[in-house]
Amino acid sequence: MRLHTALGALLTGLCAVSDGLAQNLPQTPGPKNAITDVPGIEVGHYTATNGAGGMTGTTVVIARGGATAAVTQRGGAPGTRLTDLLKSEKAVGTAHAIVLSGGSAYGLAAADGVTTCLESQGIGTLVANGSIVPIVPSAILFDPGRCAPFDFRPDASYGASACLAATSGPVQMGNVGAGAGARSGGVKGGIGTASALLPNGVVVGAIVAVNSSGRTFDATTGDFFAGYTLGNTDAKVATAGVAPDADREELLRATTIAVVATNARLTKAQANKIAQMADDGLARAIRIAHGTGDGDTVFALATASVRAAPNLNQIGGAAADALSRAIIRAIQAANAIHVGTCNVSSYCELFPQRCVR
Amino acid sequence: MRPCRHRVAILLLAALTGSAWAQAPGQNNAITDVPGVSVGHFTGGEAGTTVVLVEGLNGQGVAGGVTQRGGSAGTRETDLMRPDNMVETMNAVVLSGGSMYGLAAASGVMRCLEARGVGFPVGGGNVVPIVPTAVSFDRATCGRPAASRPDFTAGLQACLAAAPGAVAQGNVGAGTGAVAGGLKGGVGTASVVLANGIIVGALVSVNSEGTPYDGDGDLYAASLALGNEFSVLTKAGGHANRVPPTLPGGPLRSGTNAVVATNVQLTKSQATKIAEMADDGVARAVRPAHTPGDSDTLFVLGTARIAMTALGDENEVVTQIGTAAGDAVSRAIVHAMLSAKSTSCQSSYCDTFPSACRNRQ
Repeated sequence: MRLHTALGALLTGLCAVSDGLAQNLPQTPGPKNAITDVPGIEVGHYTATNGAGGMTGTTVVIARGGATAAVTQRGGAPGTRLTDLLKSEKAVGTAHAIVLSGGSAYGLAAADGVTTCLESQGIGTLVANGSIVPIVPSAILFDPGRCAPFDFRPDASYGASACLAATSGPVQMGNVGAGAGARSGGVKGGIGTASALLPNGVVVGAIVAVNSSGRTFDATTGDFFAGYTLGNTDAKVATAGVAPDADREELLRATTIAVVATNARLTKAQANKIAQMADDGLARAIRIAHGTGDGDTVFALATASVRAAPNLNQIGGAAADALSRAIIRAIQAANAIHVGTCNVSSYCELFPQRCVR
Repeated sequence: MRPCRHRVAILLLAALTGSAWAQAPGQNNAITDVPGVSVGHFTGGEAGTTVVLVEGLNGQGVAGGVTQRGGSAGTRETDLMRPDNMVETMNAVVLSGGSMYGLAAASGVMRCLEARGVGFPVGGGNVVPIVPTAVSFDRATCGRPAASRPDFTAGLQACLAAAPGAVAQGNVGAGTGAVAGGLKGGVGTASVVLANGIIVGALVSVNSEGTPYDGDGDLYAASLALGNEFSVLTKAGGHANRVPPTLPGGPLRSGTNAVVATNVQLTKSQATKIAEMADDGVARAVRPAHTPGDSDTLFVLGTARIAMTALGDENEVVTQIGTAAGDAVSRAIVHAMLSAKSTSCQSSYCDTFPSACRNRQ
């Protein structure tokens, strides 16, 4: 009897704890189901097309008021900027924008354009000699040479244009910004975003450019690996469509880069923990992920408008699920390209009956 | 008494290790003494960029490592340099002034190298140059915002100017706007050739919050001289009354960034270990170092002219290179301070402590 009581108390205690950790699915999205549902977050895209099916671009996530920033970098072939600064022990904890870009390492130049754009708007950290220095970490993905000359790539002007286009409104998905030239496991990749409303006014959002060597769905059925996060009621019927294999070039040169944001008040160390947990959402939605040729990098931003102490596990878990959903939404939103000899099929082309937009 | 004995012990240790390993500086006493290394500066009005280009015998990039211990770093491509990540071929390292804005110089260097076909091959004859970069905040502007800062063109110009041979020091390249502990900082370089044919070279841009000189005004690392490389210096001491106030600290205010190169073939892991040891050279030459406001970032590159297996036990060789690299970094910091020239805002070391530099020509 005594044992039973003790067990019961223990179980009750566990239940109380797990209530706090509950990750109920489906998530409740914010009004835009976008990272811009997080107060203080804006998004801008700049997309370039060459008329021959070639596309590339830049996406900027701006926190005009500054946000506590962090990163996890687990892909084996990254191209990054200012990620050292985001380590928990470094002195600078506030970023003003995160830039995601195509163009491989060349595309890091887009962040230079965002930096000067923000400076001209008076956004940045005030430093000793009266200068303003915007803190603009960045990560890139590999898309050059796809239906375009190899030097068709983002430069500083792409970043400036994306910065000027940034708003807190709805966020365009699919073949735009950093996702314009993206491919994913043999089909068209792109930009996706999602948000989730948590208790106590906490909002979590994610935006992702999916350019993965790994796939996001079962090639025979079209089932998304992380489809459970959507809670979708699609019939899991086999279809005639079979997705093409990713070619070897793509296996070596792919990357999924993402930003998760929350209005919770986080320290830099807490934000780094959130980034790590959010990265699991990438792992659940893409197989394989974090490979040697992937530059997979996930940033976290906290705009700190909610004063209450954060529930880190709740926020991190929700960020992971929001990122999984953003990845699925990216693949659903991506459009096939058929221009002359440039042919990239899309998920919706292969599995029209499962296409949800 | 104790500090004195401590110092003697360090000197003894340095002398012992020196006699066992160190021979003499290379021909130019510069990082370019390492085969496969060339250096280019772009010197702007108030800030500039220095690029260290590297190539292996096959003309391709070389393995490298990085350590990043300052608290206010502005960096590019340091994630890629981690040993667990794939790419093992660095083509250049860029050091630049201009704080975060100066990262744009790396894009200019990338364009320069792409035009030469230098970079990580990605199919179709296309390349992506691997150009890790660290910036620091220029302070030699009399407390006002810099009128100019390094951009894409600065990197392009530095890359086009890169050459083997002698390396200009002082108020050049990334050291143009540098300030070190209240004095004019700058670029310095040094090299050492060891008995077994290992060559180690270092290039630094000294822009430190801490001071490279002690309370007497003597440079901390002057005792590490190889031969008469610091012949301008005397050990006069007693300069304390001339020590200027240092500039205020805080985030994004300063930083000593460095590049070390060796002719030995390194893995990324070995290069990373050497970077950690070489970084001790900054710690010995500047106090304090690696502060929250410093960018302090140090890169290591191995140009693979000698196979590690030809040299013996890997750990002994890495220790030998790391030790020589630490000293070369310290010596390069001394060269930077001795080469820096006074500006309208900052006084040079030798103008501040003329009695220490009394052998100056």
